[in-house]
Amino acid sequence: MGSRVALFACLLALSLVSCGTGDREDDAAAVAHRFHAALEARDGQAACDELSEETASKLEDQEKKPCEDAILSLDLTKGGTVADSRVELNSAFAQISEGGTDFLDEGPHGWMVSAAGCEPTAPSKPYDCELEN
Amino acid sequence: MRRFLRDNSLSIVFLLLFLAAFCGQAIAGHADFNDEANRHGDPTISLARYVVSSDFGSAVMENWQSEYLQFTLFILLTVWLLQRGSPESKELDKAGVESDEAQKVGPHAQQNSPRWAKVDGIRRTIYENSLLLLMGALWLGTWLAQSRTGVVQYNSERLDHHQGPVAWSHYLTTGNFWDNTLQNWQSEFLAVGSMAIFAVYLRQRGSPESKPVGAPHGATGVEG
Repeated sequence: MGSRVALFACLLALSLVSCGTGDREDDAAAVAHRFHAALEARDGQAACDELSEETASKLEDQEKKPCEDAILSLDLTKGGTVADSRVELNSAFAQISEGGTDFLDEGPHGWMVSAAGCEPTAPSKPYDCELEN
Repeated sequence: MRRFLRDNSLSIVFLLLFLAAFCGQAIAGHADFNDEANRHGDPTISLARYVVSSDFGSAVMENWQSEYLQFTLFILLTVWLLQRGSPESKELDKAGVESDEAQKVGPHAQQNSPRWAKVDGIRRTIYENSLLLLMGALWLGTWLAQSRTGVVQYNSERLDHHQGPVAWSHYLTTGNFWDNTLQNWQSEFLAVGSMAIFAVYLRQRGSPESKPVGAPHGATGVEG
């Protein structure tokens, strides 16, 4: 009897958790939206503020210039809206209706873009990304 | 109270063991989850959030489903399948669902038989199979829960590696789902099969799971 009660409590808790991903999807989508809006406004600093530390650092290493300059030289969608977003544990992705997909990680400061401008290649392969960590 | 505890000591002790192990798993799993998060530079999470995460959920569900499958199959197969000399098997001439008289149902029910054993129709059919129905429902429910929590974990890893998430129906065809399922099933089948055979030749004095110590190896359906 006790294990049955525990089972139902657990299933209830799991269903509550799955119900709670909607807000987090909105949060992740808002970050992706702000990132592309900053690119449209050619505000490199604001765009870099939405990047994870690892991704910003890798971009600077690759381009040999500050993140706020390097980010504007990439071929990323400027502006646009989030057509679809999905959260799975601490990871999320956001499809931009004007093209490309962003991947986000949830860090101590909320959602951060870890990869952007990604296009699918093959089903079992990682996306090909213009920017990634 | 003392009498209640003595009369129900088997259920009570197993319930306490379950709760202790369940809490232990939550604490150890939480520590492991946060170790992993630190290694990847991801944020750590609280114990309260961990116990409602799909990480913990799938670890619990994949074990529960296999345990309930084990009992579902054991209850079902021992109706027809026999093992000569095993206390887990019934006597060799009793394979099958047996007569109403042997099962004490309908007109053969005793005065103190359960009410649904005395009646005919759907109620008796349900009651005759109620143990199997409950165990089977728990197995399917927990297996479903394993798949729902498993796909979240699987997709989280895919997103971490910059791959698109898959649908639940696709997840059911992946090696990840079947690996997590079958690694539990094989251990349950091994445990039940070996118990049925070991108990033919080996004994535990005083245990109803064993034959009496002096019972011959060939004696079937005898409990100690």
